[in-house]
Amino acid sequence: MPIELIKEKCSSPINSVEIGVSGKKVVTIGGESAMPFLFDEGNMPNAPRVALEILDSEPAEWPEELIRPFGDSLKDPVGWAVKCVKDFGAGILCVRLQSTHPDYGSKDADHVIPILKSIIKETAVPLIVIGGGDDERDNIVLPKVSQALKGENCLLGIATQNNYKTLAATALADGHSIIAESPIDINIAKQVNILISDMGFNPHKILMHPTTTSLGYGMEYVYSIMERGRLAAFIGDKMLAMPFILFVGSEAWKTKEAKEAASAQGVNWEITTAVSMLQAGADLLVMRHPEAAENVRKYIEIVMNGGGKK
Amino acid sequence: MKGFNVRFILPGSTKEAAVAGGTDLLSAAMKAGIVISASCGGEGLCGKCKVIIGQKKVLACETIVEHDLEVTIPRESLEIHEKGAAESEEFTKGVVLKRENAYPYFPLVTKVYLKLAAPTADDNVSDLDRICRELGKKVDSLHISTKLANVKFLSETLRDSDFEITVVLGYKEGGFSIIAVEPGDTTGRNYGFAFDIGTTTVVGQLIDLNSREILGTRIAFNKQASYGSDVITRIVFASAPEGLEKSHKAVTSNMNEMIDDLTGACGVNLGDIYAITCAGNMTMMHLLLKIDPSAIRKPPYIPTTTAFPAIHSSEAGIDANPKSLVSFLPGVGTYVGGDIVAGVLACGLFENDGLSLLIDIGTNGEIVLGNRDWMMGAAASAGPAFEGSGLSCGMKAVRGAIQKVDIDAGLNVKCDIIGGSKALGVCGSGYIDLLCQMLKRGIIDKAGKIDMNIKSSRARRGENVNEFVLAFKSETDAGKDIIITEDDIENLKRSKGAIYSAIISLLAKVGKDINEVAKIYIAGGFGNYLNIENAVSIGLLPDVKRGVYEFIGNSSLAGARMSLLSKEAFMVADGIAKSITYIDLSAEPTYMDEYVASLFFPHTNLRRFPSVRS
Repeated sequence: MPIELIKEKCSSPINSVEIGVSGKKVVTIGGESAMPFLFDEGNMPNAPRVALEILDSEPAEWPEELIRPFGDSLKDPVGWAVKCVKDFGAGILCVRLQSTHPDYGSKDADHVIPILKSIIKETAVPLIVIGGGDDERDNIVLPKVSQALKGENCLLGIATQNNYKTLAATALADGHSIIAESPIDINIAKQVNILISDMGFNPHKILMHPTTTSLGYGMEYVYSIMERGRLAAFIGDKMLAMPFILFVGSEAWKTKEAKEAASAQGVNWEITTAVSMLQAGADLLVMRHPEAAENVRKYIEIVMNGGGKK
Repeated sequence: MKGFNVRFILPGSTKEAAVAGGTDLLSAAMKAGIVISASCGGEGLCGKCKVIIGQKKVLACETIVEHDLEVTIPRESLEIHEKGAAESEEFTKGVVLKRENAYPYFPLVTKVYLKLAAPTADDNVSDLDRICRELGKKVDSLHISTKLANVKFLSETLRDSDFEITVVLGYKEGGFSIIAVEPGDTTGRNYGFAFDIGTTTVVGQLIDLNSREILGTRIAFNKQASYGSDVITRIVFASAPEGLEKSHKAVTSNMNEMIDDLTGACGVNLGDIYAITCAGNMTMMHLLLKIDPSAIRKPPYIPTTTAFPAIHSSEAGIDANPKSLVSFLPGVGTYVGGDIVAGVLACGLFENDGLSLLIDIGTNGEIVLGNRDWMMGAAASAGPAFEGSGLSCGMKAVRGAIQKVDIDAGLNVKCDIIGGSKALGVCGSGYIDLLCQMLKRGIIDKAGKIDMNIKSSRARRGENVNEFVLAFKSETDAGKDIIITEDDIENLKRSKGAIYSAIISLLAKVGKDINEVAKIYIAGGFGNYLNIENAVSIGLLPDVKRGVYEFIGNSSLAGARMSLLSKEAFMVADGIAKSITYIDLSAEPTYMDEYVASLFFPHTNLRRFPSVRS
């Protein structure tokens, strides 16, 4: 007797979040109604997307393997951005405002806004903009950046449980989407989403960052947290129904396995991390190495088409 | 070693202590009768024991006395913000009041006046047999024991008093024991003490064992606070050299001060105190009796004993008649002690037909679930926040404490103060109201962060964190603004989260839903008042029909008092302790998840709080 597989149907799909403006390029993130690539159980109307990450100032400690594909363009964020889109096929860019961090020069919004505007002008792809990671500086810089990019429907980050108000208020006023981060904890993930929604923020403009780790560094914890979040969302928890964004590039290239190996190990490390996160339910991956990104895009294409069966 | 004099300057007074060189300031202050906050137990970690020498701020636990010193102790470093008197506060509420006399009156120590016939050649039994023969007519007991010390001078006592004596009979281990023989009739003077010995708070009550009247109550912060704010830190401290001795002395000094104060105020002689009952958690009982508690802290977390034999007060350094009988309510397991057994006795949960829940909101939030057929007990490490400790303006529920708070739409704050005078600080019930009102008015978000954009000068940036002012300095007797900081809110949030998640985890363990619980008793040192509605709205208590709830006040003290006044009650307590199954929630895989989900106002899963959501 043939075994009939149980098919689980979800009652409530993941939100669809648009980044970018019509007339230029727009991407839609999320919207799935099944666990990753289980097309028998539901739909994935939007394939997971890959963004390439650039910094607003020259990276200080990047390994040779990661510098090589970009060459001198790393010194010029706009040129770097253009290269990512034209040469490496990036459909989304993520700009990390590293220069605003006290450790990298405490540059003001006046310095980064022209860079961001040039990037938009030259590339016309949807933009993710994240702060330098210093709460105090981010709260000064990001509101000005948000205002300057008003109408571009960017994805701004990163809001945390202890620092979300300034960013959420300004993103709300300027029509951007937001990244809500939590420390590998399903409850805190939900709490941040509630807090941001309580400010009047549309839950359909929030992406969740459940914290990224890489292969060999506790990735399975992130995996299980994402899985739990997804299952809760599918049975109707609206405050966990946000798509996931994961910063796999910066995490993979932090590891000594990626940094210290001369060969393609770093690229493979980034690919493996990314693919694992896709299987956990990632909707948007922010990656660093163009070759890794290319491979992951190919992987997405294959699994979206039924795993190469056809 | 050379001795030095340390002069402590406190807000409004000075105190001195002579100490040996090499003593740290924390111990020196202790010697002067000052309790400085040190939640880490004097390890130099928490930074709470700041004192000022000259112009310099130093940590008391890290400062060694090497010469005569003058030390200023700022108000915020003092553990006790108020005098240790509860005055006329009523501690017992609801069903416990009704059950107060549920058991036959027969104090654990009773006095029997005997007019014995003088021995003759025909009636030549021994003095002791003569007493026992007569006693047997008045007391229903086959065997009456005594000790050599009581027999030694019996002959003299009997003959000096013409064979008219009062026998002091103690009840212990299921039988009677002659603990003293007094000349003449002293039955009119028989007093006892009931103590609730908590990690954070010690409460003592003087009771006339004849009239059963409560003559007075005293409440104070446990002096062991200088050795850590939770039981784990206390155990670590007690495991160090002299730590056990110091811990023991700290709590007996708490008790002795209360005994001294209350007997003085009521004109009772110490020699007429013959009975003391104590209810406390397992660690507190170990420390009081100088039993090494270190195994409680190490897996698999085993206490030396859960039932403590009755002793004479002189064995524990307690000031009463040295022959007096000190009895302890038996506990259940490592973190479910005699205090909660006393609570079950007081509220009568163990006789209920319907599923009932007792929640004791203390530093260790203990919970008992069950009915007449079964009971399960568990504990949650809630911390001392709801007892008013470890918070910037926290205090006990005594005179001067803000116990009710209302905030209107214009963000004006209205406080109700115990005793009606000006405010000194905020007690647990005040904090529950305050959090509820701050949430309602949008002053804090669901994570407990203060919105600095509200239109009020009450929200401001403090020294390190954001704070909200309840009462400005001019409106108070505290000598400073009464505030709540984001750190305070975080503390309270953890406390309420620990208690709520323990309730839910214990229910899950037995496969019950909170809505199946027919009766929920809330115990705790909240004084007269606890707003259940507000406690639900901050997520401290589950969102169920309000009629299910009953606030019963300090049930640990009530149980200790009931036992003091009735040997039957004491025996029932023994049975209760034996019939509660102890559950270690830390071994439950879901507990941590429940806890983090509870660290939100009211809860991450809002569906559990339907009435709050609407």
